[in-house]
Amino acid sequence: MRPPRPEPPDHTSPGHTPPPQAPARRAPWWRGRGVERREVGFWRALWREPGQVVRIMLWSVLEAAPAFLVGHAVARAIEDGFARAEPLVGMAWLAALGVTWTAAAVAARQVVLGVAAVAEPFRDDLLAHVVEGALRRDTRGDSAAVARAGLQVELARDAFAAVVTTVRGFVFTVVGVALGLLTLAPQAVVLVLPPFVAGLGLFLASLPALARRQRAFLLADESLAEAMTDMAGGLRDIEACGLQEGVAGRLRREVGEQAGAARALARVTAVRTAALAVGGWLPVVLLLAGAPWLLGGGAGPGVIVGALAYVTQSLAPALGGLVEGLGVSGVRLAVTLRRITTAVPAAGPPRDRARPPTADVRLDAVTFAYGPHSAPVVDRLDLTVPEGDHLAVVGPSGAGKSTLAALISGTLRPGSGQALVGGVPADRIDPAARVLIPQEAYVFRGTLLENLAYLRPAASPAELDAAVAAVGATDLVAELGGYGATLDPAALSAGQRQLIALVRAHLTTAPLIILDEATCHLDPAAEARAEEAFARRGGTLVVVAHRLTSALRARRILLMDGAQVTVGTHDELVRTSPLYADLAGHWHPEPVS
Amino acid sequence: MRSGDRLVVGIVRRGGPWPVVLAVTAVAGAAGELAIPYVIGRTVDLLVARQPGGGTWLLVCAGVVAGVMVCESLGVWARGASSAHAAATLRLGVLRHVLGAGHAATRRFPEGELVTRAGLNAEETGRAPETLMSALALLVPTVGALVALTLIAPLLTLTLGLGIVVILLALRAFLRASTVIAGGYQEVQGEIAARLVEAMDGARTIAAAGTAAQEARRVLAPLPRLRARGMELWRANATAAVRSGLVVPLLEVVVLIVGGFMLAAGDLTVGELYAAARYAVLGTALSTSLGHLGGLARARGAAARVAEVLALPSVPHGTRTLPAGPGTVEFRDVTANGLTVGDLTLPGGSVTAVVGRSGSGKSLLAALAGRLTDPERGTVLLDGVPLRELSRAELRRAVGYAFERPVLLGDTLAEAIGRAPATGPRDASSREPAVVPAGTAHSVVEAARAACADVFVRRLPLGYGTPLREAPMSGGERQRIGLARAFAQGERLLVLDDATSSLDTVTERQVSQALTADHLGRTRLIAAHRLATAARADQVVWLEDGKVRAHGPHDALWRDPAYRAVFQGAAP
Repeated sequence: MRPPRPEPPDHTSPGHTPPPQAPARRAPWWRGRGVERREVGFWRALWREPGQVVRIMLWSVLEAAPAFLVGHAVARAIEDGFARAEPLVGMAWLAALGVTWTAAAVAARQVVLGVAAVAEPFRDDLLAHVVEGALRRDTRGDSAAVARAGLQVELARDAFAAVVTTVRGFVFTVVGVALGLLTLAPQAVVLVLPPFVAGLGLFLASLPALARRQRAFLLADESLAEAMTDMAGGLRDIEACGLQEGVAGRLRREVGEQAGAARALARVTAVRTAALAVGGWLPVVLLLAGAPWLLGGGAGPGVIVGALAYVTQSLAPALGGLVEGLGVSGVRLAVTLRRITTAVPAAGPPRDRARPPTADVRLDAVTFAYGPHSAPVVDRLDLTVPEGDHLAVVGPSGAGKSTLAALISGTLRPGSGQALVGGVPADRIDPAARVLIPQEAYVFRGTLLENLAYLRPAASPAELDAAVAAVGATDLVAELGGYGATLDPAALSAGQRQLIALVRAHLTTAPLIILDEATCHLDPAAEARAEEAFARRGGTLVVVAHRLTSALRARRILLMDGAQVTVGTHDELVRTSPLYADLAGHWHPEPVS
Repeated sequence: MRSGDRLVVGIVRRGGPWPVVLAVTAVAGAAGELAIPYVIGRTVDLLVARQPGGGTWLLVCAGVVAGVMVCESLGVWARGASSAHAAATLRLGVLRHVLGAGHAATRRFPEGELVTRAGLNAEETGRAPETLMSALALLVPTVGALVALTLIAPLLTLTLGLGIVVILLALRAFLRASTVIAGGYQEVQGEIAARLVEAMDGARTIAAAGTAAQEARRVLAPLPRLRARGMELWRANATAAVRSGLVVPLLEVVVLIVGGFMLAAGDLTVGELYAAARYAVLGTALSTSLGHLGGLARARGAAARVAEVLALPSVPHGTRTLPAGPGTVEFRDVTANGLTVGDLTLPGGSVTAVVGRSGSGKSLLAALAGRLTDPERGTVLLDGVPLRELSRAELRRAVGYAFERPVLLGDTLAEAIGRAPATGPRDASSREPAVVPAGTAHSVVEAARAACADVFVRRLPLGYGTPLREAPMSGGERQRIGLARAFAQGERLLVLDDATSSLDTVTERQVSQALTADHLGRTRLIAAHRLATAARADQVVWLEDGKVRAHGPHDALWRDPAYRAVFQGAAP
């Protein structure tokens, strides 16, 4: 297994996360964007494997041997062999060419393997980047985004390999041909190289435009696919709301934009093709035009054919490969790399974590809003929960209960005010000092033991048994086949998953436990048992209640209703709060008769 | 002619000048490419022999090369432009048609299938003319090269033929091996993706426990296996490349050797030897050009799939408008899809609850009331006008629908609730974003308030202007936006199909109060599981096994134990 590299400590940033849109340094188009903390650039992937790069280079020399030899072999076979009625000499030259070609094929295989040995770690890096980024987000992601990211990674790997292969092949072939021409017919160099360089220049000049068009096309195509997916998924609602006109308008716009981008791409591709033609064909014409001059200089007809072979056999295909490699794969690599690096949020600087001396919770005028212009979810909330207290949080859905739980556990930071646990800012405390169990219980593919001991891997079997028994999960453990059983999260019911998460929390030594509707899928009896276990466990307990019965078990109740927040016991609240009375009257399942 | 082929012919006919340009460049380019080796060989011979025609042939040579260059560039342009044009035309037609066919389209094709057909298959169909031309443009020089080679020396063609067979076999072996290995590779990829999705479901737990690094290690644990599979794939690839890549140069060497002997014997000139070697290389492209013919078969298949979508029937609408009325809904002898409604009236301004176990036809009844489905027999009328005879705009203005799982459309929340403004591109002005952006209709906020959505919408990063894609919403919040949309839309009839199932009891009660006290006096049809909904309704329609078992006031029905049993075990 290859453990991900530890994040290097950041000495430049103070203890705050950098602004989300840190200005990215303008990087060359092929490098993806800026410099991320975990750099996943093109060059880095190459330089990291110097041994492989040397190996690729050495085999490339052999692979390019025919590019050097082809003209000589053809020229000598004709001049010294067939034209002089010495066919065996001619055959020997051509046989030598055949052998070189065979050797070059073997070398080509080694080159592919060498490139693969660089491309595979590159892919691993990208994948790790995507995975770590996805896990850094604290919102639930969707599987479609994961699939898209996976596809991008594969595209980037293939494009990376193609770019390395073709650019390298081009360079070695050009060097081989140049050396061959220089030794075969030095004058011919003047006829071949200028038009070839002109074609190459034309192509390179068209490359930025090509990259832009290609990127524009990919984006337009994706946007269109998104619009079509939205339409197909919303047909019922489109019909029910009579939205056909609007949706058709959006689709028309998207289709038009995609087609426009495709046409623009076709235009630059035509220029690219022209560059290829200039670089590949013009040398042929010039060689023919200069043939009398070459012949006058003492070259034989075999030399002319040999020089032609250099151009048609080696130079033109190499240029074609470069055009394809840079023009298509290179652009794709740039686009996908940029996509991968921008889609993933950069890691925040590591923070100093402190273990609070006590487990009391204090909120001082805490305000939190999800956007700078949106209404606050929690508005100037003051709250004190002494150590060892048992607080229930109630209120209609959307009242901000989960936001409060996140603020106390420190996964969200207040916009203003302070959330303190034991006097330490909640987002600064050691994760081991408090446990948050959210509504959607997390169970992963692994053994039951790994899942239960997730937050305290060193727990002893006795402690484990005690926690299981306390929460009421003994039957579940037996049913699943013991601690060693491998879990398939999808096969568990929501209630079973919640029980596992509850045991996990109970097992820890954390003095502060926050249950955010963590028992909502349990039946009332199981819920009561689990909550009583946590109350007996000691430490501070904050329960975001799903049923009113949870609130009745608590020592104190916090009622949240938008800006209005009231704390009291059940009896006090029933008397003073109409909303609480309303909740108390209707929270129970409706009577059947 | 098959409908798919008709589609392709139609594309060519409506393609403007592009198909012609495509054809001309393809044919001329192919001819030029075929001529080049001969012309070059001939020029070399004349120049070497210092014969007088050399200059002329040089000019011919330059002309042919220039022609091929122009044809190639123009061809690439024409190919891109023609397929873009064709695909766009076709795709728009398909999409409009799907929109016209409405909800019924998803009953015939799954959503993903519709997207594939309108996307990928339309693209492939649009490329049909190009594919045909490319196949021809490749086939002509390859076949021509083989003929030319045969004219120079039949023996060379024979050698070449053998070589091509070897290439085809090598490619086939490669394809067979790589699908197996690629399958293994994708399996490991899928495993990593599954682990990641699983971990992302536990995002809050992981964030709180600070175990992101540990989770990343766990998710990436199969990476070494992925790399091993990847290397296997590369090895297979490299081996096949060696095999097929070696055949062409070796063939050329053989052709040169055989030709060399003929040169020595005086049967061949130097120029002809050069031409023979080039023709041999051109001829080996035969397998590639045959592959392009396969592309044509794919394009035909794609066209057939697109044609199937175009064959979906569209929903016809009338032209009538509604007279003034309270919104009375009448079912007359209605039967649809296994549900017999018979005669049923929802008096204007009344609240009707539809109850029954799952699968008893509640959603179907709701769909019939606002013409999301047409009955097989009978008529549904709104204020005396059969729904079929209403124009689409009139019908949708009159009826508002809310669903259990609404799909929200539009760019922002405001647009998702009210209709998107019909103006062109939204201006991305630099004004300070407000919670209620300028231009948001008052009715939108009103409707959101009635649906208990206003408070949470205002808490989103950009309030009503928050882009839908960036608004994380729970099932209940989504339902409330869906309700607001229905409130903002239907002027006479509101149909709520299990549209409050994910709301907590308090919120549900608030929504119900807003609904009961609807100041517009709209007729309401509510399919629901909750007892309270039925108890508050003016009348209850009780469905069982595809029939209306009874209808009347809740209190009257409540005496029947079977009616009470409907609510047993229902979620609160």
